[in-house]
Amino acid sequence: MGKVTGFLEIDRRDRRYAPASDRVRHYREFVIPLSEEATRDQAARCMDCGIPYCHTGCPVNNQIPDWNDLVYNGNWEEALRNLHSTNNFPEFTGRICPAPCEAACTLNIEDIPVTIKTIECAIVDRGWQNGWIRPQPPSEKTGKSVAVVGSGPAGMACAQQLARAGHDVHLYEKNAFPGGLMRYGIPDFKMEKSHVARRIMQMEAEGVTVHANVHVGVDIDADELLKRHDAVALAGGAEKPRDLPIPGRDLNGVHFAMEFLPQQNRRVSQEPLGNVTPILAGRKHVVVIGGGDTGSDCIGTSIRQGALSVTQLEIMPRPPEKEDKALSWPNWPLKLRTSSSQEEGAERDFSVLTQRLTGTNGHVTQLDCVRVDDRMQPVEGSEFALKADLVLLAMGFLGPVQEGLIEQLGLELDGRGNVLADTRSYRTSNDKVFACGDMRRGQSLVVWAIREGRQAARSIDEALMGETTLPR
Amino acid sequence: MRSAIKQVASGRFGVTTHYLVNADMIQIKMAQGAKPGEGGQLPGHKVDAVIAKVRHSTPGVGLISPPPHHDIYSIEDLAQLIYDLKNTNPAADISVKLVSEVGVGTVAAGVAKARADHVTISGYEGGTGASPLTSIKHAGSPWEMGLSETHQTLVANHLRGRIAVQVDGGIRTGRDVVIGALLGADEIGLATAPLIAAGCIMMRKCHLNTCPVGIATQDPVLRKRFTGQPEHVINYLFFVAEEVRELMAELGYRSFNEMVGQMQMLDKTEVIAQAKAQGLDFSRLFHKPEAPEGVAIYHCETQDHPIHDILDRRLIEQAMPALENRTPVRIEETINNTDRSAGAMLSGVVAKRYGHNGLPEDTIAITLRGTGGQSFGAFAAHGVSLELIGNGNDYVGKGLSGGRIVVRPDPDCPAIPEDSIIVGNTVLYGAVEGECYFHGVAGERFAVRNSGAVAVVEGAGDHCCEYMTGGVVVVLGQSGRNFAAGMSGGIAYALDEDGSFPTRCNLSMVELEPVAEEDDLLEKLHHHGGDIEHKGLIDVMADMSRHDAERLHQLITNHARFTGSTRAAHILENWAEYLPKFRKVMPVEYRRALAELERQQEDAPAMARAGE
Ligand SMILES: Cc1cc2nc3c(=O)[nH]c(=O)nc-3n(C[C@H](O)[C@H](O)[C@H](O)COP(=O)(O)OP(=O)(O)OC[C@H]3O[C@@H](n4cnc5c(N)ncnc54)[C@H](O)[C@@H]3O)c2cc1C
Ligand code: SF4
Repeated sequence: MGKVTGFLEIDRRDRRYAPASDRVRHYREFVIPLSEEATRDQAARCMDCGIPYCHTGCPVNNQIPDWNDLVYNGNWEEALRNLHSTNNFPEFTGRICPAPCEAACTLNIEDIPVTIKTIECAIVDRGWQNGWIRPQPPSEKTGKSVAVVGSGPAGMACAQQLARAGHDVHLYEKNAFPGGLMRYGIPDFKMEKSHVARRIMQMEAEGVTVHANVHVGVDIDADELLKRHDAVALAGGAEKPRDLPIPGRDLNGVHFAMEFLPQQNRRVSQEPLGNVTPILAGRKHVVVIGGGDTGSDCIGTSIRQGALSVTQLEIMPRPPEKEDKALSWPNWPLKLRTSSSQEEGAERDFSVLTQRLTGTNGHVTQLDCVRVDDRMQPVEGSEFALKADLVLLAMGFLGPVQEGLIEQLGLELDGRGNVLADTRSYRTSNDKVFACGDMRRGQSLVVWAIREGRQAARSIDEALMGETTLPR
Repeated sequence: MRSAIKQVASGRFGVTTHYLVNADMIQIKMAQGAKPGEGGQLPGHKVDAVIAKVRHSTPGVGLISPPPHHDIYSIEDLAQLIYDLKNTNPAADISVKLVSEVGVGTVAAGVAKARADHVTISGYEGGTGASPLTSIKHAGSPWEMGLSETHQTLVANHLRGRIAVQVDGGIRTGRDVVIGALLGADEIGLATAPLIAAGCIMMRKCHLNTCPVGIATQDPVLRKRFTGQPEHVINYLFFVAEEVRELMAELGYRSFNEMVGQMQMLDKTEVIAQAKAQGLDFSRLFHKPEAPEGVAIYHCETQDHPIHDILDRRLIEQAMPALENRTPVRIEETINNTDRSAGAMLSGVVAKRYGHNGLPEDTIAITLRGTGGQSFGAFAAHGVSLELIGNGNDYVGKGLSGGRIVVRPDPDCPAIPEDSIIVGNTVLYGAVEGECYFHGVAGERFAVRNSGAVAVVEGAGDHCCEYMTGGVVVVLGQSGRNFAAGMSGGIAYALDEDGSFPTRCNLSMVELEPVAEEDDLLEKLHHHGGDIEHKGLIDVMADMSRHDAERLHQLITNHARFTGSTRAAHILENWAEYLPKFRKVMPVEYRRALAELERQQEDAPAMARAGE
């Protein structure tokens, strides 16, 4: 166990960001890692709780106290092995996971949780640096073939697990490069794309064939896929955005976040934008509607593009600065959080409903807003207007796109429009078809997608082979 | 410090008269469900100054309770302890905590006959995170089994009505409570769940002193983190009670008593049909004992404690001037071996009125002639001096809490005192403070688990000073085997005339030293006007790491004075010849802890200055 009294002696210290004035000039990552010694000190703060709530706080059930101890003792390679036993891609989560594990940490009762995510990231980054992470091709092939549709974190985790179990895995992706939202949604400044590319190389060496630019249901019939493969895993994400059906919605300059963000990601990696009008925030007043992570990514990207001002509107009331631990711990608390992008200079406003968009010459110039009370009803007399040249809609996602793939397979959906499958078998209403990630659970997190991908792989392996040694 | 229920465990740490009189119930912890067969343990690093004070032990030295109660080897012994406690605090109910296991019913029947008011059957589910690893898994058994056996045995022997049956061990919900009642419990004990309601998060750091929510820790920094409120526990218990009420309504019961022992109400078909239960016979577990007309099947009577017409009532009456106005009294009475626990009830009254520090020395001076019954002078308080002219029995001075006991033979008795047994076995068990002088030889386990009393005896049986943690024992004659086993504190001086003592001493925790004659002894005596008689005991007890010869001389002088021992007089007359024949028994841990304390005390003024 770390150090028995470590948490009493060592203060919590986390990675810091490069100053905002510097980081907004580029699209690279800006988190400054801790030194090896500082990381080991931080790991020493873990008290190896009798009931480690972080285990269940972390959606992939990382064995956090175990690798904290290994790091404290300088046994990085074993820590990496342990970490990989539950998480295929710690370098993704080590960067963009909101770290619910830290909310569940016993020390979070005092607001000083172990810097779990930082330690996780340090372990895996060290692993790559030292060449400890190599392909793990199966010793025997099973002769079975599995299609995985969608190459986000769920599809990647599912594909990697299946390949390691000896199956022939074909990963289909409608975009030019694999990675899903990690490639086209999440900006480079949060996670550079080389991390995804590196993993894809590892996976290819393990027996995964990537079919990019193949839109299943459009370029290839879903039934064809069923014929070619012994099983099909769907990991197509939840790509249908929530719209804002108000007057003026069809004005120019009003876009979904996921029209705006992928363009910038493509620019950064010099991928051709294709046949679309560029959406750029430079020298514009930008209003982001939606107060979540997608909204934050729009802010950071707009600021880097040179926006004159960025305002973020949220319909929900301003959450409390500090949670009531007695009620929230060890769960993820609702509280005011400030993302790195918000820090870079965005105005935030809460309890605001946008009622109308107006513009000149077909281009948006203004939002007409009103404040809402705690029952989300407009407060009379509180109307106000906001100047805007670019309005980005980041109000969440409703579920998977049903046209094409899902319709062709005739899959049953759950009440929210996601593909129906349980979390033991991940099997859809079609026996040969499995579903995982956002496509099954609705819009969520990378770490949940990894979990579902891993677990679906286990279920598929079991269905194909009658038994499985893949972990749940 | 008052609390409703106080426990008496095998270690007897801090079990003083004052502790006992401030309780509504005194529970004899025969064992714990979570770790049957093992005593409680508090590791040395958790024994800080505060703990050491309430436990009457030395800071930094671990507290290990012996597996058994050394005053209980039979059900009669248990009856005696119940009697001792009932005498000390007649207002309190006496409870006995047993562990659920096969055969517990018979033990419980014994407990009821031994006149306990209350019995607890403890299952394996609860328990502390501080248990040794070996006790955490695969130890104990479910409370359901022990409870139903207990209830059945008590009913069959017509004992059920006079004893309250409590069950505990992992009881969490109203459903558990109702099942407990149906299987035969009048009362239900909940501990872990309320602890969790108050903030315990089961980090299992109890033994490390690093409890992150400030419960099982002495660290002031961590204790500040404790945010529990009584209301949290109240709230939890209300929910439990509400569930109980709902289930009772469903079953059709109006009162808890009606429900006790109604095993037929348990719906067990489904559980018994379970695959793992195949091949097991549950009929005895769920057997409902038939009680003849008029035989109670729940607790509704009271135990008859024979304490109404006893020696202590007479002593109390005569001691009234002292009890009311601190006026010294001298009492002379005769005693018989049926007069058990002499002095306990009187001492209870003293402690109740005057606290642990009681009355000035010799305020109530009692001389008794005859043979003392068991537990003579048990829990004798400060200010109570008992002189017994005759002989004692087992458990003399049990739990001694500041009083003085002198036992010497009748001058007319032809026996040679230093060759004859004067007191029985297990003398001074759990003694905390006080003095004893025995003009004769004691039985086995002399001064076992002594925490601080001073005793002089002229010979002792086997296992002398076992598990001792404090105080001073002087043996002026032969002592038996296994001297100082498990002794972690206090010191002993044994006269070793033939040089064979080391072969009889258990050296696993102690070392033997000569009794050093310090150069400054005479100088000190001179300082005190050369009158050693008037040098208080306090002085010689002040620094246990030195002044050995001085201390020993003082104690033997006292012995001669109080008992008229010719042997003591002989040793004092030939001091230079005898001193080298004494062996000092010094526990290794104790010496380390004393040195540590001394260092801290030296540092303390320096720190105080620095703080200014
Ligand atoms: C802007 C933004 C920022 C986010 N930031 C974070 C963050 O910081 N941390 C975090 O944990 N989570 C974040 N999330 C959420 C996270 O990205 C998703 O929960 C996660 O990526 C879901 O993974 P997935 O594999 O289920 O789906 P996706 O990542 O959505 O991947 C689905 C893939 O399937 C492909 N696809 C879909 N249909 C087909 C088809 N018919 N044929 C072929 N390919 C198809 C898509 O092109 C896509 O590549 C963010 C989401 C967004 C939108
Ligand atoms: S994946 Fe996320 S929740 Fe799990 S350990 Fe890493 S940061 Fe914590």
